[in-house]
Amino acid sequence: MTNRMSRFNSTVPVDEYLADSNVMFYLSDAVTQLLEHKEEYTQFGVIRYLAEYFSSVKNSNHVLFREFNYVKATPHNRASFIRVFWRCYRQIGKSGDLLSMLEYRSLLQLLCPDFPVEMVQSASRIVLMDDAIDCLMSFSDFLYAFQLQFYYQEFLDSVLLIYQDLLAGKSPNTVIVPTSTSIEQLPSVAAEETDREQDGVDTPTLAQCVDALCDRFKHSFPPRACMRDILEQSDKVSYYSFLMSLAKHETVNQTIGVLPTKAELLIDPEMDQELDKLIAQISVSPGSNSSGSAVGGALKEVQRKASPRRNIHHRRRMEVESDGSTEETDSSEN
Amino acid sequence: MADKEKRRSGLGSAGLTGDGKASRSDSDRDFLTQAGVGELLRGAVLKMVEARSDDPIGFLADHFCNLASMTDPGGAGWGGEGEQPNSGGPMGAGAQEQQHLNRALWHLRLAHHSQRSAFSNNVRVAYDLLNLSAPRTCSFDGPEAPDVPCSPTGGGGGGGVGGGVRGGLYTQTLQCLCSEGGVPASTSAPLLRRLHCQDHEAVPYDVFRHGVLTCAVFSDYIRQAQRLYAEVCCPDEGPVSRALCMAVLGTLKEALETSQGSDANNIVNANAKANSCLEVNVKAIRYLEASAKISPCKLAQAMSGAQTRGPGGNMDAKEFENAAAELFITRVKVVS
Repeated sequence: MTNRMSRFNSTVPVDEYLADSNVMFYLSDAVTQLLEHKEEYTQFGVIRYLAEYFSSVKNSNHVLFREFNYVKATPHNRASFIRVFWRCYRQIGKSGDLLSMLEYRSLLQLLCPDFPVEMVQSASRIVLMDDAIDCLMSFSDFLYAFQLQFYYQEFLDSVLLIYQDLLAGKSPNTVIVPTSTSIEQLPSVAAEETDREQDGVDTPTLAQCVDALCDRFKHSFPPRACMRDILEQSDKVSYYSFLMSLAKHETVNQTIGVLPTKAELLIDPEMDQELDKLIAQISVSPGSNSSGSAVGGALKEVQRKASPRRNIHHRRRMEVESDGSTEETDSSEN
Repeated sequence: MADKEKRRSGLGSAGLTGDGKASRSDSDRDFLTQAGVGELLRGAVLKMVEARSDDPIGFLADHFCNLASMTDPGGAGWGGEGEQPNSGGPMGAGAQEQQHLNRALWHLRLAHHSQRSAFSNNVRVAYDLLNLSAPRTCSFDGPEAPDVPCSPTGGGGGGGVGGGVRGGLYTQTLQCLCSEGGVPASTSAPLLRRLHCQDHEAVPYDVFRHGVLTCAVFSDYIRQAQRLYAEVCCPDEGPVSRALCMAVLGTLKEALETSQGSDANNIVNANAKANSCLEVNVKAIRYLEASAKISPCKLAQAMSGAQTRGPGGNMDAKEFENAAAELFITRVKVVS
């Protein structure tokens, strides 16, 4: 009887209701996970397992240490991951450290072992305006760019295709929706065309094409008003300056709804307190892992890993040893 | 059935992890059957679809947390809502009654009262649960039995052998409903006095349903009244002038009177089965008239009129709420 219950939506067909909410995806994942870890979960009961699973989905802790295909599968998962990334590494932003693209990649892979480097590259390109990709970036710059890139990946890929067509002088009407194979080759193509991109394309034409794209797009896209807003500000625009403006647009941030404004990004006294408590706990009783659920324990571990920098270096060493073969095929679109 | 098929196909296509799944599929299926996972999920999805919660994931989380706390009486400190007052050790009669009450309330929260069949089912389930606490009952198979929604029988004599929910539990249920609905105890007290049954009385199903529904509607109504006051009030200028509030309340009263017509109890009986087509039409017309009477334009008219004349002084939010509550409560008939 709370406001969560909407009185007027009982006319939505069941199928539509289920599809909109991604519930079936989570149910099937819950069962898959249950089967993967039968022995563990039967000990403390299937009902309790389900309760914990859905509570963690609700609290956005569910994406920790899961595979990339799961992390990117639903808007809620993506938003949750962005939030986890922010909460785990906020201290880096606070200390003012600037990190490179590969270092951010390592941080992301601590949370999601098979997180693909392409995504990190794309986010870095937004920050660095497709220029000198090995530059160092501040945490907040990277975070907002990463949020845009990760949350709206499919849309941005389509916009890039349109943009390249416009640059090449093709008619925007022939724009096709990209397939997953073509996407992977895009970044390099974009890099080659850097010279031409300095000028960018006519914004009215791009705005028109983006609008048409929104009409038929089945994944989520940034609010149209924001895009129109940005595109109206100049006559010509390059792809990455458009994305940069979108990444910094507060309305876009609010629409995704997991990160605070840039001014408040590093302020979180509650979290500081919590962190102090955890550090105290760790120093008092090393190796005690008795309290809290599995997820709570895992979070603790991440935070422990996150603070000392040696872990980053450690990760880097590991990357040298393995050759970074984290190439992700983008075959299963959900 | 469709659910089941979907789930199965979802399972098949899940394929997120590992390749060895296909060979293990038979033992997996056995495991799921043994653990009753299919039943659990079907039950959850049915409940969810019935309630059409705006937050399905939150709904499922609450649902399973609640189930877990039910099946595991010793488990204190677990998610949910801390429903085990005295964890560990065997439960006394009081604790068991408290648990029944919590479960009943949980069922009542599942669907908004405007979703009639879902709400009616849940009221029935809650009633049967509370009836379990009656000392004489022993007709139910176990705690799981009442979870099967039965259709409301509509009989006045109560469903179970127990003869009805005890008055004390009934009153407690209503109190909890009001306070959960955000209604201050002081505001709901007069209503509860009207709906009151003696502690030792056995409350029949119809009375129980009437009470629950009235409290649910009342909570909604009070929330609307609070919002109405907030609309009238400008936050910077302190309390609203009495004249303005009186005008608004007057409009509200007129609307309520219109919606009821001659029948003084329609407001809570809107959910009841209508007897004839004609009656339905008359009612519908009355509701339309009533909503026209409380439309923004009418309200604005009354308010602008009130600014020039009417009593002086101010009215604070609480007084407004009480006055609005009184309009409602006078239209609720006294039980017993």
